[in-house]
Amino acid sequence: MSQKPKIAFFQCQWCLYSPADQNWVDTQLPSNIHLTKTPCTGRINPLYVLNAVQGGADGVMISGCMPEQCHFKTGNMAARRQLEEFNDFLNHIGYEKERVRFVWLDLQDRGIIQKQLAQFEQDLEVLGPAKNLITRTKIAEGGLNA
Amino acid sequence: MPDLDAIKTEVRRLLADGVVEVVVAFKPGDTPLHPQPAFFHSPEEVDSLVHNGLCQNNLATFLTHLPKTKKVGMVVRGCENRSVNALIVEKQKSRENLYLLGVPCEGIIDWRKIVEHVGEAVLAVHENSDEVTVETREGQFNLSRNELLHASCLRCAHRNPISADILIGEPLPEGDPNLARVAVEEFESLTNEERYAWFQKEAERCIRCYACREACPMCYCTECFVDHIEPRWTESGATPAGMQGWHIVRAFHQTGRCTDCGACERACPMDIKMTYLTEKLNNDMRKKYAFEVGLDIQTQPPFATVTLDDKNRFSV
Repeated sequence: MSQKPKIAFFQCQWCLYSPADQNWVDTQLPSNIHLTKTPCTGRINPLYVLNAVQGGADGVMISGCMPEQCHFKTGNMAARRQLEEFNDFLNHIGYEKERVRFVWLDLQDRGIIQKQLAQFEQDLEVLGPAKNLITRTKIAEGGLNA
Repeated sequence: MPDLDAIKTEVRRLLADGVVEVVVAFKPGDTPLHPQPAFFHSPEEVDSLVHNGLCQNNLATFLTHLPKTKKVGMVVRGCENRSVNALIVEKQKSRENLYLLGVPCEGIIDWRKIVEHVGEAVLAVHENSDEVTVETREGQFNLSRNELLHASCLRCAHRNPISADILIGEPLPEGDPNLARVAVEEFESLTNEERYAWFQKEAERCIRCYACREACPMCYCTECFVDHIEPRWTESGATPAGMQGWHIVRAFHQTGRCTDCGACERACPMDIKMTYLTEKLNNDMRKKYAFEVGLDIQTQPPFATVTLDDKNRFSV
C-alpha cells in the first residue's frame, strides 16, 4: 500500500488516565488517524461507525474504559453490547470484521494506545485498502446532502 | 382455519358491551388478494370483517397510531401478539387498555406467489389448511398452501398467540425454532464478497419509499434518523450510501425488537429481501443473551439493559 491506511479513531475522553497519553493523542496523532473524542463510549452511535466506514475509512478503532471503570457507571457496557453486535452485523453483510477494533483500557495502563494504534495500522496494511461499503457520494457532488 | 363467525360474534360482543372503543382487524380490500386493515367502531360494521391467510399487515403497527388511553381490541396472530408485547415492554401501550382476540395462524400467503402462478385477474380465493383454491377468469386453480407461504411464516416458531385474552380456534402445534437459525447459518457460510454482493444487489433496488418502516410495528420513532436534517445522519436520496445506510440502520434498530413477522418484506414494492438482516440479529440475541422478543411484558431487550455479568461476556 503506497498510502498509509486511514483510521477513524473514536476515543472516550475518560479512558486515557495518564496525561502523557492523552496529550499524545490530542497533539501528536499521525495525519492518517482521525480523532473523534466522545464523552463516553456509550455516546458512540453505531451510525458514527457506519459513517466512518461509508466515508472511506480503512479501519475504525474504538477505545473505552474497562468494565466497572466507566465514569458513568455502565456506559461502556451498553456500548460494548451495541457496538460489538454492530461489528458482527457489518460482517454479516460483507465488511471485514478485523477492520473494526476495540481497545478497552485499564486505569493503570500507560502507553497502550500508541502500541495498539501502531499494531492496528500494521494489520490494516496487511489487509489492504477497504473496498466494501465505501459508497459515500463525493463532497463535490453533495456528500451527505446528496 | 379460524372460525370467522366466532371472531365476528366476539368482536360484536366487545363493541356492544363497551369493553373496547375500537377493534382493529381486516376488511375486504380492492381485490380478493388484498384484505386491508380496518377500524371497527360499532357492532353493525362488523359484518364486513374478514380474517384469512391473505391478511398481510401486522396489525400491531396501528397501536402506536391510537391514543395510549383508548381501549383497543385487536385480532392477533402469533407474531402480532409478540409485537404487541414488545410495544408494551417499551411502554407504548398498557396491557389494561388492550383486549386481544387470539387466532392461531397457519401462515400468511404471499400474494405475489399466487400472481406468479395464475396471473392477476383473481376473482376469489378460498383456502383450507392444505390447499388454496384460486378462481380466475381462466378457470379454477388448486395450489398447495405450503408453497405459497411467506418466507418468514415458513420458519415461524410461534404460531399461537401467547398472551391473548381469548383464543378463537384450536391451538396449533408450534414450529421448529431451529429453522430460523438454519436460514442465517446458510447465509453466513458464504464468503465476505458473496455476502456483500447479495446485500448490494438487494439494497440497490430500494426506492426509499419507507413502506417497510410504515409496515413495521416497532418503527414508531416520531422522527426517523433518515428524516433528520440537522445534523444529517445519512444520505436521504436514492444514492448507494443512502440505500445501504437505510437498510443497515433500519435493521440494526430492530435488534432485540423484531419479531420476524416479515411485514417489511411484504410491504416492499421492490420485493427486497430484508429478513436475512433482522434474522441474523435475532439469532445473535438468542445466542448471546437467550432473549426472544415478545414472550412476556417485563423483560427489557438486551440493548436497553446491562448486567454485571457483561464484564465476563466479551472477548477483549
